[in-house]
Amino acid sequence: MDSFTAITIAVFLPFVLAGILPAVAKLLKDKIGWYASATALLSLLMVAQVAPEIIHGETIQGTIEWLPSMGINLSFYADGLSIMFGFIVSGIGVIIMSYSNGYMSTKEDLPRYYQQLLFFMGSMLGMVFSANTIQLFIFWELTSITSFMLIGYWRNRPMSVYGATKSLLITASGGLFMLAGFLVLHAITGTFDIPTILHNESIREALQNHHLFIYALILIFIGAASKSAQGPFYIWLPNAMEAPTPVSAFLHSATMVKAGIYLIARIHPMFSGTEAWFILVSGVGIFTMLLAGFLAFRQTDIKGILAYSTISQLAYLMTMYGYTTHEEPGIGVAAATFHLLNHATFKACLFLVAGIVAHETATRDITKMGGLRKEMPITFIVATIGALSMAGIPPLNGFLSKEMFYEASVEMGHLLGGPYTILIPALAVLGGVFTFAYSIKLIDGIFLGKRPTKGLPEHIHDPSMVMLAPAIFLAGLIILFGLVPSIPVHNFIEPTVSGIILEEAHLHVKLWHGFTTSLMMTIATFILGILIYTQYDRIAEWQNRFNAMFPWISVNYYYDGAVNNAKDVTFKFSSRMQPGPVKNYVIAVLLLTLAMFAIPAMMLGTNLIPQNLNFDVPLYEALIFLFMIVAALGAALLPRYLPAIIALSGLGYLVALLFIYLQAPDLALTQVLVETLSTIIFLLALVKIPQKFKEHIPTTTLARDLIISVAVSVMIFILLINATQGIVAPFESLSYYFIEKSLALAGGHNIVNVIIVDFRGYDTLGEISVLCLAALGVYNLIHSRGEDE
Amino acid sequence: MNNTLLSLTIAILFGIGTFLILRRDIVRVIIGLGVLSHAVNLLIVSTGVFSGTKVPIITDDGGHGAAEATGSIFTDSLSQGILAPIIEAGHHVDYVDPLVQALVLTAIVISLATTAFILILAYRIHEEYGTTDIRELRRLWG
Repeated sequence: MDSFTAITIAVFLPFVLAGILPAVAKLLKDKIGWYASATALLSLLMVAQVAPEIIHGETIQGTIEWLPSMGINLSFYADGLSIMFGFIVSGIGVIIMSYSNGYMSTKEDLPRYYQQLLFFMGSMLGMVFSANTIQLFIFWELTSITSFMLIGYWRNRPMSVYGATKSLLITASGGLFMLAGFLVLHAITGTFDIPTILHNESIREALQNHHLFIYALILIFIGAASKSAQGPFYIWLPNAMEAPTPVSAFLHSATMVKAGIYLIARIHPMFSGTEAWFILVSGVGIFTMLLAGFLAFRQTDIKGILAYSTISQLAYLMTMYGYTTHEEPGIGVAAATFHLLNHATFKACLFLVAGIVAHETATRDITKMGGLRKEMPITFIVATIGALSMAGIPPLNGFLSKEMFYEASVEMGHLLGGPYTILIPALAVLGGVFTFAYSIKLIDGIFLGKRPTKGLPEHIHDPSMVMLAPAIFLAGLIILFGLVPSIPVHNFIEPTVSGIILEEAHLHVKLWHGFTTSLMMTIATFILGILIYTQYDRIAEWQNRFNAMFPWISVNYYYDGAVNNAKDVTFKFSSRMQPGPVKNYVIAVLLLTLAMFAIPAMMLGTNLIPQNLNFDVPLYEALIFLFMIVAALGAALLPRYLPAIIALSGLGYLVALLFIYLQAPDLALTQVLVETLSTIIFLLALVKIPQKFKEHIPTTTLARDLIISVAVSVMIFILLINATQGIVAPFESLSYYFIEKSLALAGGHNIVNVIIVDFRGYDTLGEISVLCLAALGVYNLIHSRGEDE
Repeated sequence: MNNTLLSLTIAILFGIGTFLILRRDIVRVIIGLGVLSHAVNLLIVSTGVFSGTKVPIITDDGGHGAAEATGSIFTDSLSQGILAPIIEAGHHVDYVDPLVQALVLTAIVISLATTAFILILAYRIHEEYGTTDIRELRRLWG
């Protein structure tokens, strides 16, 4: 199997197998989770098959044509970056779906749960392997939609629905900004193809010098920031914690929220090296890192702490990818990429632990916990490894990448010079201090200290291996990556970094690298972290007081306001636009039409009635006109329904007769048939509607309606005599074409028929559809009576 | 088609139809829609572009066939496909305009469909609410 096929299978296999999952679920019953894990494993194997080539420095590209005329194809591109994401997505996928077998109760709607997880996994894989911006956008929004459904998995809980709606509104609309950004990018570069831009230096140079550059960057960055919960968009992630914990671990810490980071890394070669990139990406990153790290203090829900920590850690990644200068565009790329991988391991591990703890203690409130180390020793060890890695304690992998973060910050500060030499490393350390504090809080709050006397179940114990094994596996990876960093660095980081900075990268990551500046910063982080931790509860309390005092200093305040007000505003708007009976709208439309006619007519002046009026018609035609008017008046004035309808159908037959004089035999024929049918329908319907209501028209209403009617009459008359007498010049007509081509192209003598069934055949198809819909509507209306009648 | 009396008749039908759709009784409104659709159909047919008087059916009687009669009217080469032909104004064609007839033929059939639908709608409204007075219905809906 060649590599392109392998990637295509890895992307589409989850979709196909998820499609048939409900059928398989009937066979496997409660064991359906293992089927989903097996699917993820197959995708993982497909990705793994491609990996050796990538590690050797090659890239893979292939296309299946879709809309070649617009340059939009189904095309996949694999380099180090996509392969690393491919591994994270499918690998964590296997772990999460196995874990879910223990976490999800068999009473839950398992087929729906696993189906959506697989759909998500497929979308995510499709996104990271997309070689085409439009295709990337489509998979991107698919991940938003599957995330929406998974957050709202418990459909009956209002908070789930709130969280799901919030995430969809923010991430999906962010995706639209991204699409706009891609279109601007296309306007600049003339291509939707990502590798073309990546591998063509002249295109990239032209892009950076283009006056639309900044707009493309800002639009795409909004997409990335909304997906990765950066800046003001962070608010959706804490509410997304309403999802089942495995979903949070998978989507909202390890994979989906990293889509924005992926996008930043993907467009890094195109946009980096500019001041705008540094200010936007690193600026928003540093801001979010500090804010989210600080706000984590007041969270009492374990998953809430983890959510804020995820936002803060994602902001680390943003910051590092944002470090750039013109000479050296990728200062933080290696550090960011390594930390990205490490974060996927330790954060997924911590979420799994949170799931275990919540599963065993039936609460997620950290204030009700404590002292669980004796009852859950294995969970305690796993959690400690995860949390210490997040805090950056050696010899775990988090220590290594945080050192690299500090190193990159020092370098960036040094290159900028001035006050930044101190400022940027200082802010980085501050971010690290917050991380350290809430990491320790997780361990201390759950496992250390005293067991509270009440609020916890009596017997708490480690869960089954189904739930424990995935967490232990991740903890093992944390230690392994920490002790032998060359494994991930050689296999994942170097190919990825080469793909981003577009030159061969060789990294030397060692556990011990002497007393460097970054080691000093790490030590400073620990000391400050411990100091802050002693004040942890006081800071949280102060945050709560501050929040209560200034509720309007919060993004959520404005989000809720906007969403709730939207309902009221649209309601007010529509009730103002549509105040009353339909009749008013009809009058409004008629008056507007009359005005549109009257204003130009008045400007034209006197020539409204042409001189050469032609009253020369045969007597029988004049008689038909007379009868038509009489019939129409009858339909209008006869008080009872039945005579009025007979008058109306009389009018219809007279129209048919008139069509013959107008040289339209087909119309006459159709009119006769249709009139017959519609008379029958009228009579059938009116037999059932007794005439109880008789409208008494007040004089003012009568006068108003008569004036409108007469005005309409006059307008039509003036328009018609002008149109039919050539005062309005005849324009070029399509009709010549039909007369000319009817016999030649369609072989038909009756031109009208040829137009209907041949030249304008689709119109006729539409007409038939209207008839079908009307028939269905009639049928359903008749059958829509309530059961009791 | 220069025929003032026909135009006058159509205009009067429009006026009557307009008056009817402003009524409160649903059945009257439906009748008004019927009158209006007749008027619209006649209007479209009467505004055909040609001054010819023949029924638009090509007969095989020699020189009067459409293909020959109009064979030389195209002045550009793009007209072989989907583009409309360019033709000098006032060119004489034997037939009345077939295009408006085709349009109206579709319209007649569709007006049957809509008439049937709204009639059944009126019938069901009467069945549910016991009235065909629009104002009373609004009161009942609140």
